[in-house]
Amino acid sequence: MAEFFSTYGNLIVSMVLGALLGLSLYLPLMAGQLSLASPGFYALGGYIAAILSTKVFSTASNPYPILLLLLEMLVAGVVSGLLGVAVGIPALRLRGIYLAIATIAFVEVLRVVSLNLDITGGAVGIFGIPQPFPTQIEYLWVGLPLLIVSMVLLYRLERIRVGRAFTAIREDELAAGAMGINPTYYKVLAFTLGAILAGMVGAISAHFLNTWNARQGTFDASIIYLTFVLIGGSRTFLGAVIGGMIFTALPEILRNIADTGGLPSWLAQFLRDGRLIIFGLLIVFGTIFFPQGIVTPNIFKLQPKHRNKFLKNSEKENA
Amino acid sequence: MPNTILEAKTLNRRFGGLVAVNDVSFTVNQYEIFGLIGPNGAGKTTLFNLITGLIPLSSGQLFYQNTEISQRRSHEIASLGIARTFQNIRLFGQLSALENVMIARHTHIKSSIIAGLFRLPPAPDEESKTQRKALELLEMVGLSDRVHEQAKNFAYGDQRRLEIARALALEPQILLLDEPAAGMNPSEKQQLSDFIRQLRNNFNLTIILIEHHVPLVMGLCDRIAVLNFGQLIALDTPTVVRNNPAVIEAYLGNE
Repeated sequence: MAEFFSTYGNLIVSMVLGALLGLSLYLPLMAGQLSLASPGFYALGGYIAAILSTKVFSTASNPYPILLLLLEMLVAGVVSGLLGVAVGIPALRLRGIYLAIATIAFVEVLRVVSLNLDITGGAVGIFGIPQPFPTQIEYLWVGLPLLIVSMVLLYRLERIRVGRAFTAIREDELAAGAMGINPTYYKVLAFTLGAILAGMVGAISAHFLNTWNARQGTFDASIIYLTFVLIGGSRTFLGAVIGGMIFTALPEILRNIADTGGLPSWLAQFLRDGRLIIFGLLIVFGTIFFPQGIVTPNIFKLQPKHRNKFLKNSEKENA
Repeated sequence: MPNTILEAKTLNRRFGGLVAVNDVSFTVNQYEIFGLIGPNGAGKTTLFNLITGLIPLSSGQLFYQNTEISQRRSHEIASLGIARTFQNIRLFGQLSALENVMIARHTHIKSSIIAGLFRLPPAPDEESKTQRKALELLEMVGLSDRVHEQAKNFAYGDQRRLEIARALALEPQILLLDEPAAGMNPSEKQQLSDFIRQLRNNFNLTIILIEHHVPLVMGLCDRIAVLNFGQLIALDTPTVVRNNPAVIEAYLGNE
């Protein structure tokens, strides 16, 4: 067991973080807003944790106190949330693909800024971020509760007034307005909740990866998180969670396949390095064949209609 | 002296060079069924969109219960008590009938997001009350056996009735119906006419409706306004409007 955790600890924690990032993109999507800003807030949260832990809370205690990690997550969440409101109010005036483009620009701006500031360590970034846990798998102590709490709250959110307002805006913004729902307010709220979550995940990731630089949370990451949600399923939070887990594990799985041997060298090479190409293809084919993703809300309720069809078919077979 | 609930003062709306609504003034009395008729392109739906704040006025003023609402946005106007249906039905198609109606209870739920997420009082009570209220409304429009079906799968007439239930969920003072009888057969139209009268009586509503079917409008409405090329050409009781030469000319053309 210990061996299993030391081999796969990194992957398991990454999958949990991937699921959380999927959720951070799912939140604005609940209100129909295709925002790719999550990696930006993720990078911001990581920098906040990295700077706080290496430069501000200069504690010599080893391991690094978990309470301080939680404090960093709180700060990262609050700062990301405030920036989320500030960016969301102007950006959410844009619709559809234009919002996606504006949020990509936001991610790029953050990247270039972090490359050029002293406090973020320029191109080198910040390294030697202290470790609160002796092994990587133990990051689950923070990651898993955050994931479970997020999932429970999202489950609740889909069943209350605010969640219904999000859905209404996603379905028809104009009609939602005519029902007394303030579209701007709820769009900014959904965007901000996603920003807070991404910022908190960034704070965990900075410790988890031990180093943080401008390569974290870039445009590539936007596409990867988008794959999580689009292929996983954009109609229920479980889609984002399962998509996040599967697609975080996928590169590892592909690498294992590439290493099995017996494959032509170009194919093995492609499986190792062609991750973004494969994700891109999955987005294209996924949106054609699974427009709602793999996990749809209907999975949970076998609809009577389908059941009847199923019964009729089996009756036919019997006859 | 009847009570004025809605007052429009020289409303104007231009789309580029086109004047879709041109200096239209009128008042609507409380508990009135107010008809709005006119040839295609006369500006009826534009007038609805102006009243409900979906599009801004070019000029003019709107008063609702003596409060100016000219600059208000659509969600504010809806929460003040003016609800509407749409000519080209705008239900939340992917959602169930029940969800459609529950969404429209938005302004009547007071508990915060935190209370909702953590099931703190009064949120659970309010949620079950919301669902009960929505089911009542669906029963009233005769859709109680199909509450979990997706709205997009409903037949046209049922979609219209669902839209009315959704609008009523706002508990409005004024209900605007944009061509509620479109696509209905004569017996359905007669039923609809009775239904609208019942709505007015049961909910103490003021109803403004756009309708092309002249017999329905004539039989149902207390007063009728006639629009032609964005201008109000007549506003009176059905009998007077029916014999107004300008109205006859607008509908039949002159010799």
